[in-house]
Amino acid sequence: MTFSEKFQKTTDVKHWLGDMEVDHFLYTAGIAGEAFFVALRDKGVILGTRCELCGITYVPPRIYCEHCFAELNEYTDVGLRGRVRSFTIARLGKDGNELKKPEIFAVIDFGSGTTGLLHKLGEVTPETVKVGLDVEAVLKPKSQRGGHITDIEYFRPVG
Amino acid sequence: MNLGKIHKDVAVVGAGMTLFSRRLQETGKEMSWQAAQMALDQAGLTLDDIDAVIMGSAPDAFDGVHKKGDWLIDGAGGVNKPYMRVYTGGGTAVFAPIAGWWHVASGMFERVLVVCEEKMSSCQPHAQSAFAHIWDPILDRPLKPNLVWIFAMEMQRYMHTYNVRYEDIALVAVKNKRNAVGHPCAQLADPDITLEDVINSEPMALPVRRLDISPPSDGAAALVLVSEDTAYELTNEPVWMDGVGWCIDSTMWTNRDLAFPKFVARAARMAYEMAGIKNPREEIDIAEPYDPFDYKELQHLEALGLADPGEAAIMTREGKTQRDGELPVCPSGGLLGVGNPIAATLGIKVGELFWQLSGQAGARQVPGDPAVGVAQAWGDLMQFSSVIVMRRRP
Repeated sequence: MTFSEKFQKTTDVKHWLGDMEVDHFLYTAGIAGEAFFVALRDKGVILGTRCELCGITYVPPRIYCEHCFAELNEYTDVGLRGRVRSFTIARLGKDGNELKKPEIFAVIDFGSGTTGLLHKLGEVTPETVKVGLDVEAVLKPKSQRGGHITDIEYFRPVG
Repeated sequence: MNLGKIHKDVAVVGAGMTLFSRRLQETGKEMSWQAAQMALDQAGLTLDDIDAVIMGSAPDAFDGVHKKGDWLIDGAGGVNKPYMRVYTGGGTAVFAPIAGWWHVASGMFERVLVVCEEKMSSCQPHAQSAFAHIWDPILDRPLKPNLVWIFAMEMQRYMHTYNVRYEDIALVAVKNKRNAVGHPCAQLADPDITLEDVINSEPMALPVRRLDISPPSDGAAALVLVSEDTAYELTNEPVWMDGVGWCIDSTMWTNRDLAFPKFVARAARMAYEMAGIKNPREEIDIAEPYDPFDYKELQHLEALGLADPGEAAIMTREGKTQRDGELPVCPSGGLLGVGNPIAATLGIKVGELFWQLSGQAGARQVPGDPAVGVAQAWGDLMQFSSVIVMRRRP
């Protein structure tokens, strides 16, 4: 059995262009998400929920514990400070081209036993970023916050 | 798990795979048919002999056809037969044969065809665009996450936790791309690649560089599974699926420690228990862990109990995981060397163990007459693992 050779241009073979014509999707933030984003927008705080039985604080909050299925309905302010669990320095964009400036992304913990939050780091260089770095959230001014994860502009090193 | 409820032992009696290539002219259906026909030919069967068909394929968005399992059915040989598609992302490569296994082990079907396909080149301009939509739409997507940098964070945490050197991780890419030289389907084989080539390759999302990662690919692979009742009628060298296991963690990947994949260890424990493996380091002759990134091979070896946490990098440096080493790892060339058409990597995981354990691996044959192997795949949002233990019987 033989195979066609690799070809470089997709238009070199008979083809048809198409798309899957869904215009867009509408995603609800959910019960816990509504509480989280409204608190972030209006009060500038980061909320979590805690499962005492499993010893886990979910940040962002969830209305159930994924391990024991307990209902979690008490929201706790976990503060704006966290610690970098891991990070990456992104040099290339989705199109494969070099970014103008490397972007640093991180998983941030808010104390032991919390789940991590994915976000960007700022005011830090590829040379100085490290696992275990203490960071704090930099929020947009209240007037510019819309109740989105990007209301947090980035996390920056503390002190 | 109730081992007493397993009715039949299950053997692989044929395997096939297409070329893995960045772009193939063949449609997904055509690739599926090519791989399936090869597996049938090797088993000495025709489509009429097949009682049921399992199709494995990853996101619909790659091929651009919703419910693509239904669409691929004619190429997979499933028309007018009991047919199902299974999908666990990259884990499909080893999960589709597990689905095939339970069809036969239950006693319901005697001969099952398992076909896995992926055509990532349909997704324009790059399959990465489809991966951008596997994230939580509200928490993650506004940050424009990219699959590569999520893995980069996992790699970073792995290096940090176990004090693993990047240079040792990069040696995995060198080994696998060299191993792939003997593979007729390979997309990424390179007999001359050096550690310096990997270390100096373009930084993508550090610590991940261009050659630490397997790029998108098109391809298909297939297996024929039969029960103990007819295996020896078809071949003198059946290879037995003696243990299967699978496990999935939460989609909320930020919950995990990122350094040690516990869900892989749980899947392995299930497969080892079923296969009666007490000490994997002593009993496993060959390993085909999932290696879409070089560090994943190391993490997976550790979770499979074939190395202590952090030790797999040292074993790699010492040459123990080479084809002629103590524990040959990815003798196929792996995803890093042969290519990564997600579900179709069936051919370089379970397919490779079939060829190796039946002595048919040609230029890639591991010396010393290996008898026991473990294949593992990993997928969904880096949360799922499937494991199969395979044996040649004396």
